[in-house]
Amino acid sequence: MLFPTLDFLLFFLVVAAALVLLDRHFAQKKAMLVVASYYFYAQWDWRFCFLLAGSTTVSYIAGLLIGGSDDPRRRRLVLAAGVTLHLVILGIFKYLDFLVSSANQLARMLGLQHELPFVEILLPVGISFFTFHGISYITDVYRRDVSVCRAPLDMALYMSFFPQLVAGPIVRAAYFLPQLARPSDEPIPVAAALLLIFGGMVKKVIIANYLATGLVDPAFAAPENYGGPDLLLATYAYAVQIYCDFSAYTDIAIAVAALCGFRFPRNFNQPYRALRLREFWQRWHISLSTWLRDYLYKPLGGNRYGRLKTYRNLMITMLLGGIWHGAAWKFVMWGALHGGGLALERIFQSWLGQRPATRLGVIVSWVVVFHFVCLAWIFFRAEDFTVAGRFIAGLGGGWHQPIQQAQPAMAGLIAIGMVGQFLPPGSFERAGELVGRVPYWGLGVAAGLMLAVINALGPEGIAPFIYFRF
Amino acid sequence: MNHTSSQTSLSRNERAPLVTDAIPPRLRRRGANQRQVLGICLIGALVLAFFASRDTPGWAERLGDSPLDHQLRTIAGAWDSAMEQLRLTDPHEALRAMMNRALDWRWSADD
Repeated sequence: MLFPTLDFLLFFLVVAAALVLLDRHFAQKKAMLVVASYYFYAQWDWRFCFLLAGSTTVSYIAGLLIGGSDDPRRRRLVLAAGVTLHLVILGIFKYLDFLVSSANQLARMLGLQHELPFVEILLPVGISFFTFHGISYITDVYRRDVSVCRAPLDMALYMSFFPQLVAGPIVRAAYFLPQLARPSDEPIPVAAALLLIFGGMVKKVIIANYLATGLVDPAFAAPENYGGPDLLLATYAYAVQIYCDFSAYTDIAIAVAALCGFRFPRNFNQPYRALRLREFWQRWHISLSTWLRDYLYKPLGGNRYGRLKTYRNLMITMLLGGIWHGAAWKFVMWGALHGGGLALERIFQSWLGQRPATRLGVIVSWVVVFHFVCLAWIFFRAEDFTVAGRFIAGLGGGWHQPIQQAQPAMAGLIAIGMVGQFLPPGSFERAGELVGRVPYWGLGVAAGLMLAVINALGPEGIAPFIYFRF
Repeated sequence: MNHTSSQTSLSRNERAPLVTDAIPPRLRRRGANQRQVLGICLIGALVLAFFASRDTPGWAERLGDSPLDHQLRTIAGAWDSAMEQLRLTDPHEALRAMMNRALDWRWSADD
């Protein structure tokens, strides 16, 4: 069930009606949201609900055991067991066939005849996200950053809450569980939520979908058929597409959670305006980058043990961050490029400074960082290294060839996507305050009209969100 | 710290992670209650039903094969025809035609 569909609208109407009926019954409201979340998840494959329930049970029991003990050894042991169990589940469903394929390739290179059979397990949607939820909860209980969750219902809702279940944002237990302790007395920020839904729908239904079908997919399917201008614009188009696709999902998730009475953290902050690669990661998929920082980079030692170990830690973090996205060497390459880039930036930090001092410096820094990010996206998007190689080689030649795919509409969509990156800070607040003055019935009419316009302008049928695969 | 079996409790030294709320506090001061949210959603869905009826037959086609699904297909088709008669599908058609024209633009007439 995708957000920008009639199915989701009908589902949400039922949830919204149930929330009204259970407005003064907080425990029942949470139970209803758990049932709704499992129903939402079952729309992909009902069997995966058992996996989600299993992952929840592991987290819940590990949390109780860690919280119930003062023995440091026992606490550490339970933490290790809980995290390992989560990683084993993730490994089996996401990485087993990748390991088999890599082992078979290595065997062929060594001239061995025997090949391991593939397991061919269907990848459960959102497994990477709920696994990270579980790991962060257990680790936070171990670090005493969050209280033990003794209510199974709260744990179930934390792990399964439908707005963030399949593609994030990764919501920390210390952020979300306190919201389940008592009902919120805050008003529902309906104007902001509707703005987020409207923005998210424009980004997904119009910008990301048309860029994908009109330019990105054909260019990455056969880069040898296109000249330099098409491929260069396809590279920019993919940068805009993946941003619009993923940030649209999280914007709508944040809005839907808000309409249910819950807060979610910010996940994107105009990432393509970054002047340093480090800044890019402070603006892109913030819930993942902070997760990797707090549960991987810092435990590895962070920047506390000298330069070389800092570079090593950056590299390990980004390599694992890369492979988190998918079981393929191209994602490892993407992570390696970002890890290497971040390490290089640190090496030259004293020379580069925190921010460029001159206007020219700002422009040069922006161009370098944006194009570095785009280069890394080529590996992320291409089918494999061969296609990525052909694509990069194509960028260097064929500039005399006529433009085939990158026609004015595509260039316009890229431009619109990029303009959004440079809106002045506070634009969202100002727009929200303006929309907030409209009476509620007017908001309903406006929301319906806006959705009807987006629906008419968008292509027929909606492609799944890119991050569903991760 | 006081735990009960049915509620998650908060410890006094709970350390919230350093994250920013997606919706800024300024926009949280005013808002709606759950009943008003449902009202907004219902009005929005009604407006959408009037002006986006062109997609309902396609949506109904993708449903299953149960008697209820067949009935829904009939209703969706009839609803779309009714909206067409009221000319409420015109804006949808006009916008889609405009988008298709925009997608067909070429840098040069030779393309």
